[in-house]
Formats: sequence, structure tokens, C-alpha cells
Amino acid sequence: MKWPLQDRPVPDDRIPLYNRFYLHAPRASHVDPTMVWGTEIDADALQVFLRERNRSGKVVLTTAHALIRATALALAQYPALNVRLVGRRIFAFRDVSIRTAFVHRRTGEIDVLLVAAADQKSLEQIGQEVWQRLLQAGRGKGPRDRDRGRLRETSPFWFRQLLRMYGFLDRHFRLPSVGRLDELRGGAAMVNDLSFPGAPPIRSYKPTRFPDPSDSLNLTLGAIESKVVARGDGFAETHVMPLFVRADHRLVDAYQLGRFVAAVRDLLSHPERLDAPAAAPQAAPTAAASE
Amino acid sequence: MSLDKHHLEADLLALVRSRGADHARVDADTDLIDGGLLDSLLLTDLILHVEERYGVAFDAGDVSPANFRSVATMVDLVLGRSPAPQSA
Repeated sequence: MKWPLQDRPVPDDRIPLYNRFYLHAPRASHVDPTMVWGTEIDADALQVFLRERNRSGKVVLTTAHALIRATALALAQYPALNVRLVGRRIFAFRDVSIRTAFVHRRTGEIDVLLVAAADQKSLEQIGQEVWQRLLQAGRGKGPRDRDRGRLRETSPFWFRQLLRMYGFLDRHFRLPSVGRLDELRGGAAMVNDLSFPGAPPIRSYKPTRFPDPSDSLNLTLGAIESKVVARGDGFAETHVMPLFVRADHRLVDAYQLGRFVAAVRDLLSHPERLDAPAAAPQAAPTAAASE
Repeated sequence: MSLDKHHLEADLLALVRSRGADHARVDADTDLIDGGLLDSLLLTDLILHVEERYGVAFDAGDVSPANFRSVATMVDLVLGRSPAPQSA
């Protein structure tokens, strides 16, 4: 049993005023606090980096591993985003843990795994941990597989009651995570690598929010695309990958989100920085300073 | 199932080539990693296919670029792991 959240909520004077409008909006206002920021990263730099690492390394590294590490480092740099809602209060996570989606080879369904304390792990350690979980899941011997099987057998009526009861407790209390299924609540960010071979280009993408308030952020990387850019007096072909980040205006404003997205983009476009230790946390702007 | 190098190579190639147009021209020595053809789903499928069909076990420590760079390196890995054929 583990409490993934800090003991005390983020104090009100650390929450920007406009975030508080969204946070305390009455349900009748039907407010939608979802923000999506789309950008692109330099795919050439990332591909060269991964090719080099895969030439001499001990673990096959992919863009998904780089995205997990980049997200973790950026969250360590901007801890004001490593938070979730409990009711109308905001709590910070103790660790920088990242969820990632994968195709469960045995069931053909999407499943999710959690890389705990990903800011403290090297790219190789993240890669090895992810491969281990993928192989366990593929063999049907993943730690969550038995629980998933039981959930699948639950009738729609009881499934709904279970979700309602668990959702009520999770929305209102700072619950510990007690099992394999709810370990996923231990992280604020979900990353999704949709750059698999054959994936179509993404022009627009709005990641959904899982019905769980710990799913505060989502980062989705799309397939590599060619782009012509001006370089000097002429034009050159370059390759980019779209990156979409979904955030919640109750937790962050566009300025905070922009700085976070810039940090992720910078890490993926200059991937040698993924090997550096986590940067010192940047102070969150006080409410007064952001107005 | 006993392991024959040519049979194993053809079997793995068929699995890789079934992944779509980009994979259709892969041969045994094609660099799958540099070519961006080895995603996590294909790699997991290759490992589990070998485990299920040939009884050769792998762990996460085996998922190295040297082992999975091409179909040829995978064949070498599997043959190196399989029990030696019994002499008559």
C-alpha cells in the first residue's frame, strides 16, 4: 500500500487565479478545462541519437522510451505539473512516474504500464523495464493480467457500480494505491507513441482523459513526416514528429503548459540531454505573479 | 520442434514481411533497427513466436540491438539458445 500523493494539498496562493475559476466552476457551467498544445520535434536528431545508441547499446531503444524519459525530466523541472485533483484540491505526486500505453499482444487490446520514478532512471533502465513488462503481458503473465481477466468477466451493471464507487472514493479522498490495477494512479502523465511503422500522419489529435482524475497530462507522439524548410539561401528537407500535449486548466495555465511543452520538445530535439540528470525544479509562479 | 536454420529464417521472414508494404522487401540481412521497421509490437511478436513455436526462452536482457538487428542475427540467437541436436 502506497500513498502516491504528498500529505498536504497545493496551497491556494500557489494556484493562479484563472486556474481557480476552472477549479471552482459550478457543474452547471459545463466548463471544459481541457487544453491541447500541438507542436513538432526534430525527428532527424532523435532518429540519429537512437540509431547511435542502438549501434552499441545493450537494450533496443525506441521513441517511446525517449518520450517517457523526456516527459519525466520535464516534470521534474516543472513540478507544478506533476499534480492531480482530489475533489477541488490539488495534490502533488511524490514521484515522477509515467504511464505509457501499449498493445497487449495476447488480448490485442491497449493496456497501460507505469514506469515509477522515471526521472531517476536512465534511458536504458526505462527501456529494459518496458520490454520486461511487454514480454510478461505477451505471455499472459503480467502482474495485471489476472485482475484484467476478472474485470473483463464482470457484468456491465457491476462494472458500472465498481467504477462509480471507486471513482467517488478516488475523487474525494487521497487514497493510497493498493493493488496492481490502481498502481497506474501513481503518475500524472500518460505518454502515447503513435509513431509506429505505417501510422498515418497526424494533423490534429485530442487525447481523451481516462475517467480518473490522476490522468492530468497526456503526451502523444505521431509518425515521422517530411517537411521543407528554408535553410540559408535555399530549401532543405527535414523530418519532424508531431507532439500533442493535453492538459487541464484547473491544474495549469497556458503559460505553465507552454514552458513544459518547450522542455519536452527541447529534450526530444536535443536527445543527448536525455542522459543528463534531472534539472533543478523551476519555481512555480505565485498566483500574484501570474495575474 | 527441431531447429533448421533455413526453416527458422523463412519463418521469421514471413512474420516480418506480413507487417505491411514497408516490410515486404525485407531480407535476412536488412537492418530492421536503422530502417525504422522494428517497433515494439513486432519485436514482442517475434520473441513470443519463437518461444511458443520453438520453446526457446528469452528475457528482457536479451532485447539488445545486437540480437534483434536483423532476421539473420535473430536466427543466430535462437540457434545459439536451442539445445544441441541429439547424436544418433
